[in-house]
Amino acid sequence: MQVHSIESLAALDGEGLRYELFLAGCPLRCACCHNPDTWSASVGQQMSCEQLLRKILRYVPYFADGGGVTFSGGEPLLQAAEIAQLGEMLRQNGVGYALDTSGCVPLTDAVCRAVAGADMVICDLKYPDTATMQQYTGGEFAQVTAFLDHLKKTGKRTWVRTVVIPGINDSTAWMDRYLAVLEPYRSIIERYELLGFHTMGFFKYEKLGLCNPLADRSALSQEKLAELQAYVKQHFAPAYTK
Amino acid sequence: MNNNAWRNFTPGNWNDTIDVRDFILKNYTPYTGDDSFLAEPTERTKHLSAKVQDLLKQEAEKGGVLGIETNRVSSILTYRLGYIEKGQDIILGLQTEHPLYRAINPFAGIRNAEQACEAYGYDMGDDVRREFQYRTTHNTGVFRVYTETMRKARHAGILTGLPDAYGRGRLIGDYRRLALYGMDFLIAQKKADMRRLGERDMSDENIRLREDVSRQIEFMQALVKMAAEYGCDITRPAENSYEAVQWLYFAYLGGQKEQNGAANSLGRVTTFLDIYFERDLREGKITESGVQELMDDLVLKLRLIRHLRTPEYNDLFAGDPVWVTASEGGMAQDGRTLVTKSSFRMLHTLYNLGSSPEPNITVLWSAALPEPFKQFCAKVSIDTDAIQYENDDVMRPVYGDDYAIACCVSAMKCGKQMQFFGARCNMAKLLLMALNGGKDEIYGEQIGPEGTVFPAGVALDADEVTQTLHHYMAWMAKLYVNTMNTIHYMHDKYAYERLIMGFHDTEPERLMAFGISGLSVLADSLSAIRYAKVTPIKDERGLIVDFVTEGDFPKYGNDDDRADDIARWITETFYAELCKTPAYRGAKHTLSVLTITSNVVYGRKTGNTPDGRRAGEPFAPGANPMHGRDTEGALASLNSVAKISYECCQDGISNTFSITPHTLGTTPEARVNCLTRILNGYFAQGAHHINVNVLDRQKLIDAMNDPSLYPNLTIRVSGYAVNFHKLSRDKQEEVIARTFHESM
Repeated sequence: MQVHSIESLAALDGEGLRYELFLAGCPLRCACCHNPDTWSASVGQQMSCEQLLRKILRYVPYFADGGGVTFSGGEPLLQAAEIAQLGEMLRQNGVGYALDTSGCVPLTDAVCRAVAGADMVICDLKYPDTATMQQYTGGEFAQVTAFLDHLKKTGKRTWVRTVVIPGINDSTAWMDRYLAVLEPYRSIIERYELLGFHTMGFFKYEKLGLCNPLADRSALSQEKLAELQAYVKQHFAPAYTK
Repeated sequence: MNNNAWRNFTPGNWNDTIDVRDFILKNYTPYTGDDSFLAEPTERTKHLSAKVQDLLKQEAEKGGVLGIETNRVSSILTYRLGYIEKGQDIILGLQTEHPLYRAINPFAGIRNAEQACEAYGYDMGDDVRREFQYRTTHNTGVFRVYTETMRKARHAGILTGLPDAYGRGRLIGDYRRLALYGMDFLIAQKKADMRRLGERDMSDENIRLREDVSRQIEFMQALVKMAAEYGCDITRPAENSYEAVQWLYFAYLGGQKEQNGAANSLGRVTTFLDIYFERDLREGKITESGVQELMDDLVLKLRLIRHLRTPEYNDLFAGDPVWVTASEGGMAQDGRTLVTKSSFRMLHTLYNLGSSPEPNITVLWSAALPEPFKQFCAKVSIDTDAIQYENDDVMRPVYGDDYAIACCVSAMKCGKQMQFFGARCNMAKLLLMALNGGKDEIYGEQIGPEGTVFPAGVALDADEVTQTLHHYMAWMAKLYVNTMNTIHYMHDKYAYERLIMGFHDTEPERLMAFGISGLSVLADSLSAIRYAKVTPIKDERGLIVDFVTEGDFPKYGNDDDRADDIARWITETFYAELCKTPAYRGAKHTLSVLTITSNVVYGRKTGNTPDGRRAGEPFAPGANPMHGRDTEGALASLNSVAKISYECCQDGISNTFSITPHTLGTTPEARVNCLTRILNGYFAQGAHHINVNVLDRQKLIDAMNDPSLYPNLTIRVSGYAVNFHKLSRDKQEEVIARTFHESM
């Protein structure tokens, strides 16, 4: 498995405390990405499943209340076969995992196996239609809906996330478009979280010599984020079972 | 006897002999509920608390010292009565006649007291000077005996912070005894002990002990007089809630009047007091609000404790700490929790009176603690940054279930053990000395045994370096024990803690507490030598003063056994070497990995190290990994520290942890849950201690630049908390430079 980096304490990406593996490589080029250093599939280091398992098991004492591993990235499902393999080893040791994905991958056998083994999936809904998805991420919107269809079909516990960027999608009109896309998936979605765009990853673009398309943007204000989150929550209320 | 004082208590062994633990276990009420019963401060409490806030402000405006009683030597009966506001105080008694005025206590060293006065623009009174003209202080005694090598080691900063010019402290009298038994009974017991000792042969130790006990009795009698001036008869046991708190406080206060030792702590008192509260509540004699008011008033008084210190002392122990350490929670050996409603009430004072570094509230954490208590503690940490946690599950097997923490991380059985405090040895500097054939890398002076200086331009061989270091560790350990023996012999002789020791068993177990600093610097340096290529550079004196380090190496703080095993080796090896030299009065050797704030001073006195740290740069505090060297985040860092074995560090392993609120979660509830899980996971691995700060680095930077933004900003820096504004600029900067675990 090509691992970009490890964060031993991630409390936000799933239930309980998460040991988060950021895997290298991503098919998208999101304008809002704060981890452009994970785009290349060859950054970080190659680690075997056995090696990772040994490391992860050191954190079992912290995994009460549903905690475990989160595979993030980059796009973790580019390494779906390895995830399925490590996931099975984790399962045998009583450790569960979550996937933090863009959903922008073909539904291969390996992807389906990685999803099947996961306790839950955190899926980004970056943009609500083909045109904007293509414009701001380079990804295919149809792949995302196909991925969500698969999650629904398999009854997978799901959180959905959207990054809100000032001047792009920070309005209730945009929120309505997102909600419309999510409507068919209500039964599996436990949470719909909005994440505020921030500028803390800007330095990485400079360091990598990459063009930062949103270099002139400032972070989304906490007030705006709270306002939109409240709006979304209100419209999405019935699905908030947890 | 004591029909009224002991009414409705379940009798036991405690009736016939001093056995506070037995009294507690037979009478206390464990509490497994939540914080919803807690009471708000009364109007009186708010009024008095506002007055204290005002005094604290005045103290800060006057440069940190509100006033000094320059003409009298502090002792139990030196001062007349003092109040915050007469008629408003419930719990009576101050150290001097005015709140926050500091007393002069020259028994440990007259020059020290004089310099401390001068530092704040005062002149020590002639009466005091005259009185001590023909009197030997502890400091004089020590320097009469110190060898040339001891002086050199001290000067070079390889042994620093030794209690040879100030009170050694780190003692906990069992102040509960006064409330439970009254002084007549305690003195009668001491007199019985005197008779028993009188039947032994008069060996050195027996003569010393009989003199100790007679001095104890003298001061116990003085405390009776002091209390009587406040209108209280402490010859008899406390009969109600108020008296129990008041008696206990008098006992503690007397010790603080007599002694200025660093870190003479309060002990484990709330579960004991809770028994009196519960009885009065049952009898309808007090309300919850009344009980909280007693707790609030006690804590207000404890926040006023002050000692007069020199600037050099403040450099090592920054922020004017007193370490009124109060130990809360933990489990009894019979499986019940020792958490009571009063454990909550103590923590609740941080809301009722506002956040504060003192008393140094220490939660004794166990996996088995009631969940609502864990959650409440986590909430208090997140809201106040004022409390620390220590692992009851590793201490209970060693110290039983009636121990308390002195200072930061030093456990001892209440009233049954005492400690000879011993500051610490600079391990990073010891490596440089080993590489330089026993010479100090800064002054060039020969301090250790003469050896070969490692050659310049040749990569260091890890095995050879380890072997040489071990040789110097053996030398240092012997020197260190002998230095400590000298210090504590003289402290017993010239600055003995008469009252505090009166609240101990006559023949307590003694612990001699050694310490190390620079653990992470040394571990990373040895790792660099082993796993990378480290080549020494010499200066014109022929001494190694720098290194070229090529290649990467495992670093302590990433849960990587290659580096963490080195840290373990350092503690285990040094402890084994210490144990080879017998300690004064048959004391048991213990070791801590704790720096207080001296990590800055030690860094200043240490040259370039092979891990890449530059000369003069601060060490990481305590057992912390060096900041900026962790690559796998917070829990990896905790896992590394958890590997240091408590077995060889029974005086404590300190870890200071700072995390941003956002990393813990996005809602208050999520943050509490997250922190609780972190603590459970860390302590489940046998880790010993953690300080928790939940704040953003930017908040500290803002506070440093504009102190008025957060006037009461409390943070944990080591095994204690400080008001951030009481730290000097270099220490503020060091705190800001530390690792803040954060997620983006």
